[in-house]
Amino acid sequence: MENKNRDKVLEVKNLKTYFFTEDGIVKAVDGVDFEVYQGETLGLVGESGCGKSVTAFSILKLLDYPGKTVEGQILFKEDDLLKKSEEQMRKIRGKEIAMIFQEPMTSLNPVFTIGFQIAESLKVHYKMSNLEARKKVIELLEKVGIPIPEQRVDEYPHQLSGGMRQRAMIAMALACDPVLLIADEPTTSLDVTIQAQILELMKTLLKQFNSSLIMITHDLGVIAEIADRIAVMYAGKIVEYTDTRSIFFSPLHPYTFGLLTSIPRLDMEMEKLESIPGVVPDPLHFPEGCKFHPRCGFATERCRKEEPSLLEIENGHIVRCWQVDRVREEAKKIAFTRRLAVVE
Amino acid sequence: MLSYIIRRLLILPLILLGVTFLIFCLFSLLSPMERLATYVNNPSVLKNPQAAQRLIDKYHLDDPFPAGYIHWLKSLLKLDLGWSATANQPVWEAIMQRLPATMELVLYSIIPVILVGIWLGVISAVHHNDLLDQTIRVTAIIGWSLPTFIFGLLILFIFYGILGWLPPGRLSTWAQYIVYTSESFKHFTHFITIDALLNGRLDIFWDALKHLIAPIITLSYISWAYLLRITRSSMLETLRKDYIRTARAKGVDEKTVIYQHARKNALIPVVTVAGMMIIGMLGGVVITETVFTYPGLGFWAASSAQQLDYGSVIGFALLFAFIMVIGNLIVDISYALIDPRVRLE
Amino acid sequence: MNRIIRKLLNNTASLIGLLLLLVFILIAVFAPYLAPPLFPDPYQIPRMSWDVEPQPPGFPMSDDMRFVYESLGKPITRDKAIFGTAQGGYDIFYGLIWGTRTAFRIGIITVTLSMLIGVILGSLSAYFGGWLDELLMRITDIFLSIPFLVAAMVLTTILGRGLDKVMIALVAFGWMGYARVIRGSILSTKEEVYVMAAKALGVKDFRIIAFHLLPNTIFPVLVQASMNIGSMVVTAAALSFLGVGAPLGYADWGQMVSFARNWIIGSPGKAGEYWYAVFFPGIFIVLFVLSWNLVGDTLRDILDPRLRGEL
Ligand SMILES: Nc1ncnc2c1ncn2[C@@H]1O[C@H](COP(=O)(O)OP(=O)(O)OP(=O)(O)O)[C@@H](O)[C@H]1O
Ligand code: SF4
Ligand SMILES: [Mg+2]
Repeated sequence: MENKNRDKVLEVKNLKTYFFTEDGIVKAVDGVDFEVYQGETLGLVGESGCGKSVTAFSILKLLDYPGKTVEGQILFKEDDLLKKSEEQMRKIRGKEIAMIFQEPMTSLNPVFTIGFQIAESLKVHYKMSNLEARKKVIELLEKVGIPIPEQRVDEYPHQLSGGMRQRAMIAMALACDPVLLIADEPTTSLDVTIQAQILELMKTLLKQFNSSLIMITHDLGVIAEIADRIAVMYAGKIVEYTDTRSIFFSPLHPYTFGLLTSIPRLDMEMEKLESIPGVVPDPLHFPEGCKFHPRCGFATERCRKEEPSLLEIENGHIVRCWQVDRVREEAKKIAFTRRLAVVE
Repeated sequence: MLSYIIRRLLILPLILLGVTFLIFCLFSLLSPMERLATYVNNPSVLKNPQAAQRLIDKYHLDDPFPAGYIHWLKSLLKLDLGWSATANQPVWEAIMQRLPATMELVLYSIIPVILVGIWLGVISAVHHNDLLDQTIRVTAIIGWSLPTFIFGLLILFIFYGILGWLPPGRLSTWAQYIVYTSESFKHFTHFITIDALLNGRLDIFWDALKHLIAPIITLSYISWAYLLRITRSSMLETLRKDYIRTARAKGVDEKTVIYQHARKNALIPVVTVAGMMIIGMLGGVVITETVFTYPGLGFWAASSAQQLDYGSVIGFALLFAFIMVIGNLIVDISYALIDPRVRLE
Repeated sequence: MNRIIRKLLNNTASLIGLLLLLVFILIAVFAPYLAPPLFPDPYQIPRMSWDVEPQPPGFPMSDDMRFVYESLGKPITRDKAIFGTAQGGYDIFYGLIWGTRTAFRIGIITVTLSMLIGVILGSLSAYFGGWLDELLMRITDIFLSIPFLVAAMVLTTILGRGLDKVMIALVAFGWMGYARVIRGSILSTKEEVYVMAAKALGVKDFRIIAFHLLPNTIFPVLVQASMNIGSMVVTAAALSFLGVGAPLGYADWGQMVSFARNWIIGSPGKAGEYWYAVFFPGIFIVLFVLSWNLVGDTLRDILDPRLRGEL
C-alpha cells in the first residue's frame, strides 16, 4: 500500500488494557495492533462496549480508575508512550495528540467560558498571555465555523447548541496543531444534518492542518466518508483491518459483514434492515473460541472451540476468522450497488 | 436570574408572616393568664383578677383569632416582646444585650466549618481510599454520631476539668471586671475579642479567645463533619466527569485539574450545604452555650425554658426563625450567583 | 430485598451497626430482668441514697433507702449501683437500662408519626399539584424556618414537661423532610406509564397513591427514617439535658447526662472524679445513634448505587 512509504505517526502493538473491578477483570482491550500514518485517517469501528474509547484513553494514558494497560507498546514518533512519565505525557497531551470526545454536552466544563477552556491548552503549551490566547481562540472559533466568535468566546457551554459545542471541542483539540487527533464518536450525539456539517468541517480542517486522525465510531456510514483505512473491533480485539474500499467491497469477517448490512441508508429504499442478531457479550464472561460465534451465521464447531488469530489474507487485508472463504463468497452474492453507493 | 431574586425577595415577607403566624399559634396554646405573665414585670399583678383582666384586655390576649394575631403583630412591630423574668429586663433588650456574644461565637464557628470541612473533604477525595481518606471518613462518621451535648461535656471534661486550659463562661473574673466596669475599656463592636484588640488589651483578647475555643469546636464539629462528607462525595463525583478528562487531555497539570476544574464544580452543591450547616448551627447554640455557660442568647433561652419564662422563649424563637429565613435566602441567592447555568438563566 | 439483606451483612460497618442494634433491642426486651423495678412505675429510677453528689460504681444502697423500697413490697435483688449513682443518688445503671426502652419508644413513635404525616402531606401535594401543592409546600417551608431544636424546645416549654409532650414537639417539627422527599419521588413517578394507565382506567386517586405510587417511592423515605431515629432520640435527650424534657427521675438518657452536667469538672484537686456520671450515659447515646447511622448509611448506599463506596 502507498501508506507504507509515509511516516508512521503512531504504532500500537499488542495493547492490552484491563479493568480490575470488584467483580473480576474486564479485558476491555485485549491485544490490539494498528498504525496511523502521517496525514491519514484511520477508522476504528465497532459496537458499543467493544473497547474503542478504552483504546483511545490508553493512548493518552487517561484511563479511569480500575483500568490499567498491562501489556503492549504505543509508539508515538517511535517513542513508547507507555514508558513516559506523567510529566512527559502532559507535554504530549493537547499539543502532540489531542482528543475530541463523544459527548459535547458533558465534555466541556460548565463553569468556565469556552474561551477559557480553549485558551487553556495554548497557555499550558505555548505559555501564551491571556490577550494572545484570546486572539488565537477567536481565530480558531472562526475557523471551526462559529458565528460571532468575539461574542461566543465569553459564553458558557450551556449557552451553545450541541453542534456549536462540538465545534468548540474541535477548536480546542486543534488549538496547538496536534500531529495526531483522536475523535471519539464526535458526531454520535448530534442530529443527522449537524453530523454531516461536523464531518465536512473535520475533513476540511484535516487537510488544512495536515494532522492524522483516529476516527472512532460505531457507524460505518460516518467512517466511509472520512477514513483511509479501517480497523473493526469486536470484544476488545481487532477482527478486520484494511483499507476502506476493501471493507466496503469485500469484507472478509462476518462481523464486518453484519455491520455493513445494518447501515441505515437515507438515499435508498431498504428492503430490510438486518442488524446483527444477539447482544454484545458480557466482558466478564466472554464465550470460548471465537468471541463472535454466538452471533455468527457462519460459525462451525471449530469456531466454538478455538479462537482464530489475526491473519493477513490478502495484501494488507488482515482478518480474524476461520471461515474467510465462505464469507467472501457470501459477500459477492450480495448486490454491490448498495455498498458502492455508500463509498462514493 | 434577576427575576428569580426578585421573586425570592417578594416571597420573603410572606414567609416571615407565616413564621410569625406559626409562632403565634404556639403562643396561643397558652392560657390568656399565662400569656399575660409574659407582659408583666411584677408577678403580683397576676394575683389580682380585676387588674389581670384589665391587662388581658389591654393586650387583646382574649380576642378571637384574627384580631388577637393582628394586635400581637402590632406589638411585635413595636419590638414589644414582653418581659423576660429570667433576665429581669424587657425581652427585646435582653436579646440585644446577648446578641453580640452569640454572634461572636457563631461567626467564629463558620471559619472551621469552611476551612476544615471543605479543605479536608477535597483532600479526602483526592486521596480516595488511602489511609488518610479512611481516617478522615471514620473520624467524620463518629463525629456525626456524637450528640453536641455529649461532645461538649467531653471537651469541658478534658480541656477544663483535667487540663484546665479552656474554661467555661465568656471571660475570667478579672477580665470581666475590666471589660464591664472599667471606664477606659471602650466597646466598639461588642465582640470582646475584637474590642480587646482595639483597646490594645492582648491579655483580655487571649482570655476571651480561650473561652471561645471550646464552644466554637463544639458548635461546629457536626457541621464540618457533614460538610466534609458532602464535599468528598461531590468532589469524587466531579472527578469522574467527562470534562475532567477533557482538561487532562489538554495537558493541564493535575493540580489545576483538581483545584480549578474539579473543585469549582464540586463546590457548587457544597455551597448550599455549607449555608444550611451554618444556619443549622443556630440550633446548636442553645446546647453549646448551656454546656459552657456562655452568656449568649442560647444560654438565656435554655434558662428561660427551664423557668417557664414563655415570653423570652417566644422572643428567642422569633429571632432565630427570622435569622434562619434570611440566611436561607442569602444561601439560595449566592448559589444562583455561583453557578453560571443558573446565573445566566 | 434479599440482595439488600446480603449486602447489609457483607458490609462490616453495617454489621457493627446491626449488632449494636441487636444488643440494644435485647437490653430493652430484658430490662425487667437486668434491672428489676423497685417502684410501681418501672420508669421511675430508684435512688440508692439521698446524696447530692454522684457516687462511684459499686456504691451500695443506703439503709434508709432499703427501708423505703422494702416498704413498697418489691424484692431488692440489686443493692449496688454498678455504674455508680448520678446527682441525687439515682442509679445510673437502672436509668440506662430502662432508658433504652425510652429511647426506642421515642425513636420509633416519633419517626413513625412524622413519617406518616410527611407521607400523607407529601403525596397529596405531589399528586394533586396546583394550589394545594403550593400551599402545602409553603407551610412546609414555614415549619422548616425555625431551627428544629429551638422549635422543639419552645413547644415542650409551652406544653410542659413529660415524654409525651416531647414526642408531640418532635413530631410537630419533624415531618417536613419526609414530605419533601416523598413529594419529589412521586413527582418523578407520577408521569410513568403504569400510573397513567391506572388513571386512564378510572382507578380512584387514593388507590393510585396508595397502591401504585407509594410502594415505588417509599424506599428513600425508609432510609431517611432509619437515619432519623437516631437524631430524634438525640434531640429528645438534648431537651432533657436542657431541662425541658423528661420529668425528674424518669429513666431517660438525656436526663442522666443532664444529672452529670454540674459535676463534670470534678472537685479541686480531683479532676474528673465523677467521670462515670457522664461516661456511661454518653456511651449509650453515642452507640445507639451510631448503630442507626451505620445501618441507615449502608441502606442508602445500597439503594443509591451512585454513592456506593462513599462514606
Ligand atoms: N471504568 C471502567 N470500569 C470497568 N469497566 C470499564 C470501565 N470503562 C470501560 N469499561 C469496560 O470496557 C469495555 C469497553 O468500553 P469502551 O468505553 O471502550 O466501549 P466503546 O467501544 O467506546 O463503546 P461506546 O460506543 O459505548 O462508547 C466495556 O465493556 C466496559 O464495560
Ligand atoms: S471464526 Fe467462526 S464464529 Fe468467528 S467470525 Fe469467523 S466464522 Fe464466525
Ligand atoms: Mg466510547
